[in-house]
Amino acid sequence: MRERLRSAGRVTLGVAIGAATAFLDLCFVIVAGLTVGASWIWPRAREIVVPPVLAGARSLAGLERRRVVRYLGGVEEHEFTGWQAMRYLALRWVVGLLGLFVLFLLGFGLAVTGSMLLAWTTGFPWSFVESGGRVTWETVALAAIPGAVLLYLDLVGIAGVAGLDRALVRRILGPTANALLQRRVSELSESRALVVEAVDGERRRIERDLHDGVQQRLVALGMLLGRARRSQSPDKTAELLVQAHEESQQALHELREVSWRVYPAALDQQGLAAALENVADRSPVPVELDFALAGRPPRNVEAVAYFVVCEAVTNAAKHAGAHRVDVTISQSDKMIHVRIADDGVGGADASGGGLAGLARRVAALDGSFAVVSPAGGGTTITAELPCE
Amino acid sequence: MRVILAEDSTLLREGLVRLLVEEGHEVVAAVGDGDALVEAVRASPPDAVVVDVRMPPTHTDEGLRATLEIRRLFPSVGVLVLSQYVEKRYAAELITHDADGIGYLLKDRVAQVGEFLEALDRVGAGGAAFDPEVVRQLLSRTSHTSPLGRLTARERDVLDQMAQGFTNASIADRMHVSQSAVEKHINAIFDKLELSHQPGYSRRVLAVLRYLGS
Repeated sequence: MRERLRSAGRVTLGVAIGAATAFLDLCFVIVAGLTVGASWIWPRAREIVVPPVLAGARSLAGLERRRVVRYLGGVEEHEFTGWQAMRYLALRWVVGLLGLFVLFLLGFGLAVTGSMLLAWTTGFPWSFVESGGRVTWETVALAAIPGAVLLYLDLVGIAGVAGLDRALVRRILGPTANALLQRRVSELSESRALVVEAVDGERRRIERDLHDGVQQRLVALGMLLGRARRSQSPDKTAELLVQAHEESQQALHELREVSWRVYPAALDQQGLAAALENVADRSPVPVELDFALAGRPPRNVEAVAYFVVCEAVTNAAKHAGAHRVDVTISQSDKMIHVRIADDGVGGADASGGGLAGLARRVAALDGSFAVVSPAGGGTTITAELPCE
Repeated sequence: MRVILAEDSTLLREGLVRLLVEEGHEVVAAVGDGDALVEAVRASPPDAVVVDVRMPPTHTDEGLRATLEIRRLFPSVGVLVLSQYVEKRYAAELITHDADGIGYLLKDRVAQVGEFLEALDRVGAGGAAFDPEVVRQLLSRTSHTSPLGRLTARERDVLDQMAQGFTNASIADRMHVSQSAVEKHINAIFDKLELSHQPGYSRRVLAVLRYLGS
């Protein structure tokens, strides 16, 4: 309630300021119209007059927009030209004056109500209805109903003027449909490039995993067996074979790990919850998993959520020295919220390899990704994934 | 022989050290990156160096850079390069310089302990050792116009062995033929490929490899 009152007050103030600036706008439009109109006769004069007029229009329109952004909201910043600013100002003063009338009516209504109530309580004569009349409670009761209706209409009027103000900025100074499309296209090409990059990064990581882990172990195993075959003493041979046997177990374990890191089979077969339980079980740091999804989200969303949690938990264990990690997966309409918080040392670098890769994957789904990691204050990673 | 090792995987480094010691070599130093390798060689030049191509910091071609540096500083030190994959570019880079005592093996070849040790011995003695896989890839680029197409199957086998760095005697042993038969094949190969008859085994190998890699 208090918040609502505060915002109503802010809108009213915005409309009031707008009413005042309406005169400024009107003066500017008249002066600009006359000078530009007059200069149209001489092309030379046009070159001298038009640019400063347009620059003035732009700064004035910029001021108006700042007022709308600050007090009325619902508008975003966007580049506009001088001519757009001129068109805007030419219409804007009308809205401003309308706001002035609406506010005037409000003031007038409040003055009438105030004086009437004052006369009623003090018994002074009140000459609004009839000269020298006394205000009785019947007069108050009669006036109360139309008064309340008028007050309501007026408040709606203020809101309406604010709406007009917003619409005007949006319509004339805001991005055109074309510009919006352009922006979307550039966002999409960027995220597409990021996806390709993310995939390449993954592949490089898999290659390294195989090379540094599995392959080295197999080469070492081959060496042990080779040495065993060349050895002349039966004892030495037996010892090398034992080592080779252990090494083969290690190589198998390594291979399992690598393939699990590439893509956990559980994710496809049993879904996100099961795969995340696996992550929690395998983590050297205790992981508290709070999983609250009604149904199964789309596969690609599941996969991204999974990798975000996986990377975050790995980082918490490997780099942050955390003692506990809280993983929360929740859902609000058409959004899946993933949150991983640890109590480690913080100071994680969001532009570092792993986290940047996650950000790219999330961006590819049109989601948002944030890392909050103050030094010494733990790390919280959040991802919002839209799922249509 | 006195050997220096450079390999970033601790597991393999330890294994290699044990293997070489068992075989009676002396491991002067075992390091994990290219700079440390060059330092170790400067401190005490060995007979041979075994070096992994992919090492920190960038895991690309550090080992190769270090190798070229060592070749420049100490041409008499034999270097056996271990590579993750067959990279013709690396092989080419190694043989563009006058290179006695150069070897280029697939890393996995280490598991074939006998072959690995033999290659190391050849390189340490100033010979050459090229992985059969490298040679196979170089040989496979035959077209009908290429003189390689004019070689008989027997001659191709001999060329394959020769390119790996084997001497005539070893080739004769491996193919179960007489040495003079091998020499005859080799003369035929040199004629067909228009290579000058180079004396000295590694120079002979280099001639062949350069031809194949060109």
